[in-house]
Amino acid sequence: MSVLEVKHLKKSFGPVRAVEDISFSVTAGEIFTIIGPNGAGKTTTLEMIEGLVPPDEGEITFGEMDWRKNAAAIKKKIGVQPQSSAMFDLLTPEENLNLFASFYDRSRSAEDILQLVNLTDHRKKHVKKLSGGQRQRLAIGLAMISDPEIIFLDEPTTGLDPQARRNIWDIVLQLKELGKTTILTTHYMEEAEKLSDRVCIVDQGKVISIDTPAALIDQLTEEREVHLIFLDGADAAESAALFSDDLGSVSRTERDGSSLTIWTAHPEDTLYQLFSYTKERNFQVEQVSIREMSLEDVFIAFTGKEWRD
Amino acid sequence: MNGFRQFKQMFLTQLRMTYREKQAWFWGIFFPVILMVIFMSIFSDNSDNDFNANVALVNEHPNETSEMLLQQISHIPVLEIETGEPVTREEAEEMVADQEVNAAIVLPEADDDTSLLLIVNKEDEQGIVTQALTGMLNEFVHQANLFAAGAEPIYEIEYEAITSGDTEFSYTDFLLTGMIALSIAQGGIFGMVDLVDMRRKGLIKRLRMTPADMNMFGFSDMVMRLIFSVVQIILLSLIGVFIFGANLFINFAGLIVVFLLGALSFNAIGYFFSSFSKTTEAFMGIANIVNFLMMFLSGVFFPVETMPDWLQPVSNVLPLTYFVDGLRETMIYETSIFNAELWTGIGIMILWGAVTFMLGSWLYKRQSIVATR
Repeated sequence: MSVLEVKHLKKSFGPVRAVEDISFSVTAGEIFTIIGPNGAGKTTTLEMIEGLVPPDEGEITFGEMDWRKNAAAIKKKIGVQPQSSAMFDLLTPEENLNLFASFYDRSRSAEDILQLVNLTDHRKKHVKKLSGGQRQRLAIGLAMISDPEIIFLDEPTTGLDPQARRNIWDIVLQLKELGKTTILTTHYMEEAEKLSDRVCIVDQGKVISIDTPAALIDQLTEEREVHLIFLDGADAAESAALFSDDLGSVSRTERDGSSLTIWTAHPEDTLYQLFSYTKERNFQVEQVSIREMSLEDVFIAFTGKEWRD
Repeated sequence: MNGFRQFKQMFLTQLRMTYREKQAWFWGIFFPVILMVIFMSIFSDNSDNDFNANVALVNEHPNETSEMLLQQISHIPVLEIETGEPVTREEAEEMVADQEVNAAIVLPEADDDTSLLLIVNKEDEQGIVTQALTGMLNEFVHQANLFAAGAEPIYEIEYEAITSGDTEFSYTDFLLTGMIALSIAQGGIFGMVDLVDMRRKGLIKRLRMTPADMNMFGFSDMVMRLIFSVVQIILLSLIGVFIFGANLFINFAGLIVVFLLGALSFNAIGYFFSSFSKTTEAFMGIANIVNFLMMFLSGVFFPVETMPDWLQPVSNVLPLTYFVDGLRETMIYETSIFNAELWTGIGIMILWGAVTFMLGSWLYKRQSIVATR
């Protein structure tokens, strides 16, 4: 069941076309990630969906509701964690939560939320004294206070250290367990791959592809990159390269000193045959690895551009 | 009811933020108190008619006339004879030059000599003490003349001091009410820096993502500010009355009306500044310039009438001039709200508030359409 439908959104700021054409549909209970480099139009898209910025063109519907007719009802249905993570710095997390709770007819208790975002120990600290990760967790907590059906998280882990980032991931996965629909933006590929049910790749204000991370990678290529390093030096690698080139499943090879890279559609068969060959010749293989394809490769394949965090 | 719950939380938020913001305490409470204490300490001491002049007497050639004058002069209570005994003219001139005394009086040198000579320092020629001494000696000589002619004075002056109570108004009262008005005006204008800060941090946008009632949020802010101003009024009044002996005759209805309208008007001016200030620094820059202009041109420390003529028209358009006047009227002169003149002044102040509020609202609306990030 679709809870959010976005059709052909367009938005310009003066001469800058921030969003050119974005459409997607989000299903109840999924984690839907919009990923793209900085300036791709992720935040603008989110702000249009959150009702902060009116789109120049296009439609946004939450089930039967839209911003023109049902603004108040939509605001009750959604919870937002904006990128700026704005909150009252001179208040404590608990006081911030209580204030936000008062805006809604129905809300969860500050206690519950503090527990959910693991801030119970810091409930009495002024927000300005919280670390970046704690602050970000509180921002998610504020988005959760009204117990919304749909939660928007705009780059929740940007600028955080790996541990703090992992803590946020745990919270996002918990939201899914609670049956919430989460719409997330990020420019970390790893994050999108780990968390998302579906990923929407955007670049220059346009949707490039939407699918599950696995399907996106699968559709990219059937070839895998196999990497070997020989203990016996360049001669052994050269010999193995010549052998591999003759195998039907190998499309090409690349040798650099004692290391060899093979592109093959059937990595297991190729390796089996290659190892038989090296055993015969008594070549010692020091290291073997098969590189996993990632969303980064998908992005490069679709846009022809290098991915930069 | 949700409306009340929301207001309570919003008001608590404002209260906590004000309480925890050290700057608010410094500028809102500490600064006005210090400023008032300094000004009152400097200017109030001499204001209680304690006129005293230090003089040297020269009587180099004692004679009947000079002896008689000497005796009478030494009985004038406000004149203090520096050496106790007459000195030589040379010594006296030196004392005047060194400003050890305010003036020297040279007594007649012969019985038939009828003139008194007053020697003053060139620097003090136009000073109050010199003027007063001249007047005093004139009167003295005049009386002596009448006595010599055996005539009775035909006209005389009678004094009657009029006040609303049994007390005189002093500079302390003037300054106290001026400081209260200034503090409320400053609080109203500078308080709006929060709005710039909230907008810069994205808090306004954040609240707009929720069903929060933004009008109520603004209202809670205003209530907090009014309470803070009431604290300012009470604190400054207590210090003024109990430490510096100010006398207040308050018309409470009038005071409340002037106070509320003034606080709102200055809030509106601050709101207007916040509408076009992108950073808190920009806001503070503008607010400070306006504040300094108003502080010295609105009759807070000195009456507007004592300012140069060409400056007075400027004072007459500034809103603080009328707020200061309004508070003085209702706090010292017990003027009631039915006084027409009071309303002329308040009217000009409200006009400032209304115009700046409308301009500010217009600018805010325009921005929320154009600038979104």
